[in-house]
Amino acid sequence: MRNFIECINLNMFFFTIRSFFQKLVTLLFISIISFLVVYLAPGEPSQIDPLNPKFTPDDLVKFRQEFNLDKPLHVQYYLFYKNLFIGELKSWKDNQPVLGKIHERFLNSLWLFIVGTLITWCLSFPVGIGAAIKRGSVFDRTTTFFAYVLISIPSFFFAYIIIIFVVQTFNIPVIGMQTFGMAQAGELYRAMDRIWHLVIPSILGALGGIALLSRYVRAQMLEVIHQDYIRTARAKGLSSDRVYYRHGLRNALLPFVTMFGLILPGLIGGSVIIESIFAWPGMGRMGYEAIIARDYPIIIALNFIAAVLTLIGTFISDLLYMVVDPRIRL
Amino acid sequence: MESNNQDINSLHLGLADEISPAAAAWRIFKKNRMALAGLIIFIMFFAVAVIGFALTNGDDPVLDPAKVRLSEKLRSPLTPADTDMIKKEDFPVFGIYLLGTDDLGRDIFARMMQGAWVSLTIGFVAVGISIFIGIILGGLAGYYGNVRIRFLPVLSLIVFLVSLIFWASGQNSMALNTFIFSVVLSACSLLYSLMSDKGSGWAKKLDFLFFNTINVDSLVMRFVDVMLCFPSFFLILTVVAILPPSIYNIMIVIGLTSWMGTTRFVRAEFLTLREQDFVSAANAMGIKDISIIFRHMIPNAIAPVLVSATIGIAGAILTEAALSFLGIGVPPPHATWGNILSDGKKFLFDAPWLTYIPGLSILIVVLSFNLFGEGLRDALNPKLRKR
Repeated sequence: MRNFIECINLNMFFFTIRSFFQKLVTLLFISIISFLVVYLAPGEPSQIDPLNPKFTPDDLVKFRQEFNLDKPLHVQYYLFYKNLFIGELKSWKDNQPVLGKIHERFLNSLWLFIVGTLITWCLSFPVGIGAAIKRGSVFDRTTTFFAYVLISIPSFFFAYIIIIFVVQTFNIPVIGMQTFGMAQAGELYRAMDRIWHLVIPSILGALGGIALLSRYVRAQMLEVIHQDYIRTARAKGLSSDRVYYRHGLRNALLPFVTMFGLILPGLIGGSVIIESIFAWPGMGRMGYEAIIARDYPIIIALNFIAAVLTLIGTFISDLLYMVVDPRIRL
Repeated sequence: MESNNQDINSLHLGLADEISPAAAAWRIFKKNRMALAGLIIFIMFFAVAVIGFALTNGDDPVLDPAKVRLSEKLRSPLTPADTDMIKKEDFPVFGIYLLGTDDLGRDIFARMMQGAWVSLTIGFVAVGISIFIGIILGGLAGYYGNVRIRFLPVLSLIVFLVSLIFWASGQNSMALNTFIFSVVLSACSLLYSLMSDKGSGWAKKLDFLFFNTINVDSLVMRFVDVMLCFPSFFLILTVVAILPPSIYNIMIVIGLTSWMGTTRFVRAEFLTLREQDFVSAANAMGIKDISIIFRHMIPNAIAPVLVSATIGIAGAILTEAALSFLGIGVPPPHATWGNILSDGKKFLFDAPWLTYIPGLSILIVVLSFNLFGEGLRDALNPKLRKR
């Protein structure tokens, strides 16, 4: 037994080292691509507002000097990432440090993300397991159909329907993070207000995830309950609850351990539309605003951070998988 | 020999009738009612899109999606046109606004018909691009995966890419220098491969420049990993917003950011197919690699690609709608469902049909593509035939 544990640890140690360097190389290419995609596009940031009388040619020269735009491309690349890592990178629009801005918005997005993830995981598992156990039943067919509807519906369209419904039925405002001018209201009232503002966008953001994850849970569960050991468990005369939840579910859960790592990147990419509609001051909305304003530092930094999150996520999920399933050797 | 043949024949008689794979797949597909409905809606949508293209194009289209009638703003569906206020040639078909008008008095029916064609084109072209890249890269990784690339060719490729980057950023002299360097490097590699084939001792001395670096499979799959790291919608948004607004840019960008899944499928299929007997037989017969790949392997690997293509079209239509909604989608002369929806959001309470008609249309079409794709997946999956 001790031998076995040592073997795993050694294996994991080498895997960690190797994987770390692989990820580092990947990161290098990601940094190059995310930089070039934005910098090589036609047009310059100074061209956004050519009719602005305050933007004289002198200012343009100053602007280009200030943000290193007059230097060769590889020097710009080096300076960009150097500044990003030492936290000196400034937004082109308001000269605020990019990392500070992102941090501020990150805290706002984090709430949406946590609530959305909780809703997704708490709903998907019961629905998926139920659908798998009663395969072909009315419940299974209804949830399958609704899962497809949720995958297919344009999220902004659905968001408008929900906003109208909630605002007209419950008579509560849901746009933004809280209702304006509530400072005088009671503590409880304000808390309720914030929860309402949080819950609706979280649910809307989670819907696609619920649909996909519940389908995946169902597929996994179906895969497992057709295995021989489930038949053995049934033949032993165990109750069906025990068969499904102790023998079946435990094994069906295995792939989902890895998903804990993979949900990290959803923090940025998944939230652009929902945050725009609900005027939620989060990272997705900041990205959208930066894209419209051609604020290159923020766009590249967000793309880069999202990619880093994905890399960290895959790394964690690989490690988790090795811990949970000793058969895996990466 | 004679009796042997007879034995085989009699054996054959005992088996069930041979059915072609397509017929077997159709038999399973038919049982899935949702998928069948998806297929029917898919065909109907295709017909509507083609008819819409025919009716809304040309100098004097039957349905003019761009005709502005300022006196007929925000009419609800099925309103007859006001004969006193507008000219006779501005009349909608049948003299009635089937789906109402928008804030400029444009006929929503005509715009929806045009939008159907635009959505269909975007879906098909974007997925076509992504599948093309996916099959090429996946095929390379799957079939030539074990081939190791030598150092000097890799170096010349990298230098060539650097020269492209210099050229794109406008530093022409640097671009020319690096380009010439890359040409020299690739000429060297070519010369080396010619010389070493002849067994020249001179080429042997240069071997240290041609050590093996990375194999094709790792190269392609690491590139896939890099691309998968980007948040796809955010990347599409960035590129589309920065490029000049054009419908073609949107198709290309969606295509260029969604080929990773297909590459993985095709690679996996090729890896198993490569070891199969019929490929070994074809190899032994001296058939060229190109012919093996295109005549023998791709037809066998196409099933998962078809499924992911169907679902990919649905995704592309949704992405286009989302881009239009954010205001950086297909530029104005073209009407798309996403455009109509995003224009209509300002009149959500006054003219709800501007939101509900395109929204529900997108939902139904995307749903039908998804259902059809999933049905196809089940029908083409031999494992599921038993269940």
